[in-house]
Amino acid sequence: MASTALFQSVDQVISYLGGEKYICNKNVATVVYLGTALEKPILVEGPAGVGKTELGKVLADSLGLELIRLQCYEGLDEAKALYEWEYAKQLLYTQILKDKIGEVLQGAQTLQEAVDCIANQDGVFFSDRFLLPRPLLRALLSEKRVVLLIDEIDKSDAEFEAFLLEVLSDFQITVPEIGTLKAKHIPLVVLTSNNSREMSDALKRRCLHLYLDFPDAEREMEIIKLKVPGVGNQLAEEVVRLLHRVRKLDLKKTPSISETLDWVRALTLLNIKQLDHELVDQTLSTLMKYEADVRKAHQELKAYLAEKQAQQSTPHSGSEKDHLH
Amino acid sequence: MEDRLVEFSTVLRRNGIRVSLSESMDAFRALALLGIADPSLFRNALRATLVKRASDVKPFDELFDFFFLGIGQTLDAIDRRIMDELGLTSEQFQEMLEQIQRLLKEMEGDLSDLSKALLQNNRGEIERLLRDAMQQEAETGTPDSFRHTPYTRMSARLQLDRVQSEIERFRGMLQMLGESGENLQNVLRYLDERMRDLNRLLREIISQEQRKKGLEPRDSSQRSSLGDKSFAFYTEDDIRRMNEAVARLAQRFKNRLSVRRKKAVRGRFNVKETLRKNLQYGGVPFNIRLDRRKKTKPQVMVLCDISDSVLNASRFMLQFVYSVQDLYAKVRSFVFVAEIGEVTRLFEEHDIQTAVEAALKGDVVDVFSHSNFGRAFEQFHRNFFAAITSKTTVLIIGDGRNNYNRPSDWVLREVRHKAKQLIWLNPESRMTWGIGDSEMTRYAPHCHFAEECRSINQLYKIVDMIVP
Repeated sequence: MASTALFQSVDQVISYLGGEKYICNKNVATVVYLGTALEKPILVEGPAGVGKTELGKVLADSLGLELIRLQCYEGLDEAKALYEWEYAKQLLYTQILKDKIGEVLQGAQTLQEAVDCIANQDGVFFSDRFLLPRPLLRALLSEKRVVLLIDEIDKSDAEFEAFLLEVLSDFQITVPEIGTLKAKHIPLVVLTSNNSREMSDALKRRCLHLYLDFPDAEREMEIIKLKVPGVGNQLAEEVVRLLHRVRKLDLKKTPSISETLDWVRALTLLNIKQLDHELVDQTLSTLMKYEADVRKAHQELKAYLAEKQAQQSTPHSGSEKDHLH
Repeated sequence: MEDRLVEFSTVLRRNGIRVSLSESMDAFRALALLGIADPSLFRNALRATLVKRASDVKPFDELFDFFFLGIGQTLDAIDRRIMDELGLTSEQFQEMLEQIQRLLKEMEGDLSDLSKALLQNNRGEIERLLRDAMQQEAETGTPDSFRHTPYTRMSARLQLDRVQSEIERFRGMLQMLGESGENLQNVLRYLDERMRDLNRLLREIISQEQRKKGLEPRDSSQRSSLGDKSFAFYTEDDIRRMNEAVARLAQRFKNRLSVRRKKAVRGRFNVKETLRKNLQYGGVPFNIRLDRRKKTKPQVMVLCDISDSVLNASRFMLQFVYSVQDLYAKVRSFVFVAEIGEVTRLFEEHDIQTAVEAALKGDVVDVFSHSNFGRAFEQFHRNFFAAITSKTTVLIIGDGRNNYNRPSDWVLREVRHKAKQLIWLNPESRMTWGIGDSEMTRYAPHCHFAEECRSINQLYKIVDMIVP
């Protein structure tokens, strides 16, 4: 049942993902390694924008596997997630083949015989030809191994979770008309959740858990330098320092990595080398999405710049404070 | 190894982290793959398989540190710190230790085991002795009594006073043997530090051991008494803890409610929509459409009396209502003493804590006047009555003590007619309603619910009523 291992070691995971420009720490790599080796789904939780969905995409790219994505929302049901019959196609075929059906039924004398005749043929209309596979079924039936990314599972409702549980435990489904369809290759399943509601315990037990938090200063620097190649060193340092201060404030929406990257790109585009440029104020709205937050960030920026001024006027103490925590 | 893992799972369970059998088995399989050599991999593997909630990550880390890294780690840190404090390099430190060892051999050696281990810097031995003593204490020790705390019992068992006197003797010997100057000073300070650290270590281990057992007696008693304590007697500390409790309560309600709302989403068969959706199939109803029952979000208007007697209750009510803001279409809040003013904007502009404090401070209405419910109600009727709809819940928090002014309870009658619900929360005991200048006998009949609200626990019960 188990195909050859995808990763040989945790370090290999780090290097593969790094090759796709996704910087992860050992914790993330360990969970990914275990997920692929034990063939268990990975449930990734964390605040918005830390790279949960990205992890799924990068995993697929680094292994050269197809990515099948299922975006969850309230009201997502079996039909849209697993499979659907193409009713329109079936009706159309029935209409077109009316004559042929007439021929097949010619031999039948009674109603019973006619029905039996049709029943023998019903495999035609309920076959793979008319089955519309949705992401989950596609992932199961794929000829090669795939990465199945189930995004924002906390937005779905409880019924969907229950049905997903069934699929994830056995990796087979039963279509009444066709029979049981088993997965040829167990897909790598990554579930992401924003924690807007608690998942059911049963689903959690099925999965390995990974909590992605905001990165520490060093890692964030690495990420910025990797994703925004033209960024100046000093700018990156100052941005990271300011961001870490801002994240400690009480904000409506804490800025995440993706917002940091957007901001750094905006600043680089405007050719800003340091944070005490007037334009920086005006670009704060790429970082914060709420007006109240923008105001608080503004205050923090002013405080930070004031401190920087103070440090620069006393150079010997400044060198000590320049460590990134 | 398996036994240790099973024991660890038990420890986790006792501390509130729910670990199931299948998860433990996953942990075994993961360890079989990764091996137990690398400590960070070991930790990550256990964390991925045993911890399934973000909130459990931190307790897991602490328990892991204590369980697997044990006391040995702590001793190492102590040594390093002493080294730093004495200002010695590691070679000098090592030299000093060797010196102590030599002296030890020369001394008549009837020191207790623990003293010897301390002086020889034998970490393993110290750890073993402490663990053994804990074990013995757990097995044969008497249960918690008021006179003997766990610390005193443990120190008795380890005979710490004997250790102390022996160390003293050792110091005496040093001085006698003619060691002098800086060397002597260093050694003496080193001995002092070790004694002090031993004590600290002991205390730490005891508290960890208690946490392992899942006991936190002091904390839980504090919590329960806070629940019953009347709002009027709150100290600053209590207020802070209350804020956390209210925030947690709000989160629980939001979770509960989001589940409730989802269950009631589909209703009866909707003919029109079904036909429309199935036109592509020639009218054959392949897709059934049901009525989507829309649960409309209600609106809340909170009127808070901010005279001294009611201040704390108002504070928490305001905080709670704003914490669960997403469950309501609109929350409007007012404060009053003798006149009424709206404070909704404060909540839109600032975070909850600042807004609550600002609202209760006295910028909006004069807090130093005497309560005049009648006048406040009349003003409310004049200015804000039009804003009440059939979906509004009106919540009044006050003690009803009107200072013998005009009661104006006709306002309440009208409000009850127009709004969906009129609830009155009174921080005074029900027995005092109607006595003296309390107008509760007049106000209460107009309300759908008029309840006592003097402590957190009562607040919890009432909150059930106002949350939709």
